[in-house]
Amino acid sequence: MVNKKAQMKIQQMAFMLIAVTLFFVLVGLFFLRISFSELRTSAELIEEKNALLLVSKLANSPEFSCENAFGGIKINCIDSDKIMALKNNINKYSGFWGVSGIEIRKIYPSGNLVECSSSNYPNCNYLKILPVPSDSGVGVSNFVALCRIEEINNSVQDRCDLAKILVYYGGAE
Amino acid sequence: MRNKKAFQISFAWLFAIIVGAFILFLAIYGVTKIMKTGSDFTSARTGAEIGVLLNPLETGFESGRTSLLTMPVDTQIHNRCTETGTFGKQIIKISQKNFGKWSATDVDVGFANKYIFSDANVEGRNFLIFSKPFEFPFKIADLIYLTSSKNSYCLVNAPSRIEDEISDLGQENLYLENCPANSINVCFGIYSGTVECDIYVNENRKSVEKEGEIVYYETDALMYAAIFSDVDVYECQIKRLLQRLNELLTIYEDKNAIISLRGCSADVDLFTLKSEIDRFGNSEDLMNVASIAEHINRQNNLENCKLW
Repeated sequence: MVNKKAQMKIQQMAFMLIAVTLFFVLVGLFFLRISFSELRTSAELIEEKNALLLVSKLANSPEFSCENAFGGIKINCIDSDKIMALKNNINKYSGFWGVSGIEIRKIYPSGNLVECSSSNYPNCNYLKILPVPSDSGVGVSNFVALCRIEEINNSVQDRCDLAKILVYYGGAE
Repeated sequence: MRNKKAFQISFAWLFAIIVGAFILFLAIYGVTKIMKTGSDFTSARTGAEIGVLLNPLETGFESGRTSLLTMPVDTQIHNRCTETGTFGKQIIKISQKNFGKWSATDVDVGFANKYIFSDANVEGRNFLIFSKPFEFPFKIADLIYLTSSKNSYCLVNAPSRIEDEISDLGQENLYLENCPANSINVCFGIYSGTVECDIYVNENRKSVEKEGEIVYYETDALMYAAIFSDVDVYECQIKRLLQRLNELLTIYEDKNAIISLRGCSADVDLFTLKSEIDRFGNSEDLMNVASIAEHINRQNNLENCKLW
């Protein structure tokens, strides 16, 4: 009888201890869940901030900017010939700017969207630099001048169009 | 008999003590791990935020920009650099003071498109940052100079162009006169005054001597870089800049091929510059790269269809 009572007490205590352990484990998991959601929000905010700050300055970075190629230094001016060259080497630049996609769309003169490739350039108006991910992130944009060298009536001239640079973040990088 | 009973521990007690100790151990271990994760998370977030906040320092027309970075607690920014990969990486590690102790972290935040010149470890709550484009011969990157507001720099006997630039920047820890007593003295040329120099800048040899070590520079952007950074950080960042220059040269080569289809090519010897970059060892070799860079810049300027 005494033995049975002792066994009952041990069982009670064992169940109690298991319950206490489970309680702490659940509290821990709940805390981790909150921490990870905070981490994700933080990462998304940083990505958004990066894209917003980057889009306003990207046109002046050396891979994009016109430099002195079109008669003096121009701000927010993108060299479209250089972009075509950059497209050829884009595999080296994946992850370089920390965004998921970069593209440039000519907005004036307007027309149907024609993606630029080596076969149709410069008769196109859409330059996909870093391919935008299929699950499409969020895009932020900025207006830029898109300049190139063009042959008109057997003479070489500079030509600049109004364009929009779009930077995407939040998709699969 | 009574004494024997006093030492007797029932199985229930023994069981409770062992399992209780195990639960307590798990709880303490868990809390320690969570605290470490929290500290790593803060460090990673701060590092990433610092990197992102450096984006506006990308320059356009202006020659230099300055800004203030204020942290909520005392912070150590560990500036690390690696040359691996196509562009190498700028690594920022952050330690912050919690309850009087510096948090230790293994989390590295890396950026391929940033070049920060500073001491390997910069400590403070307010950090002063200025940036300057590095053109060699075209723009390669914006160099970022990071200093703590705790450190004052006194530029002694600086040439007028440097004086003008520093005055225009108006950065609070860079002095041209009336320097605080504990300033880091940066002496230009052969200085024979009473000030004890910590850093010597020789504009003829294009060298900067710091703590007995000499590094070499080309252009003012690299001169500031050599002044404000550790030798190891400087040499590593120089190599990264040349890695980027190499890739930009490839882009310009391709651009030349593209515009030549429209009857407008440029006769610029980019290949020689690429070969010189391949031979680059340390900042002492910068002079050779610079002379070729100047040469191809002259070639480009003479062209009707300029590459840059």
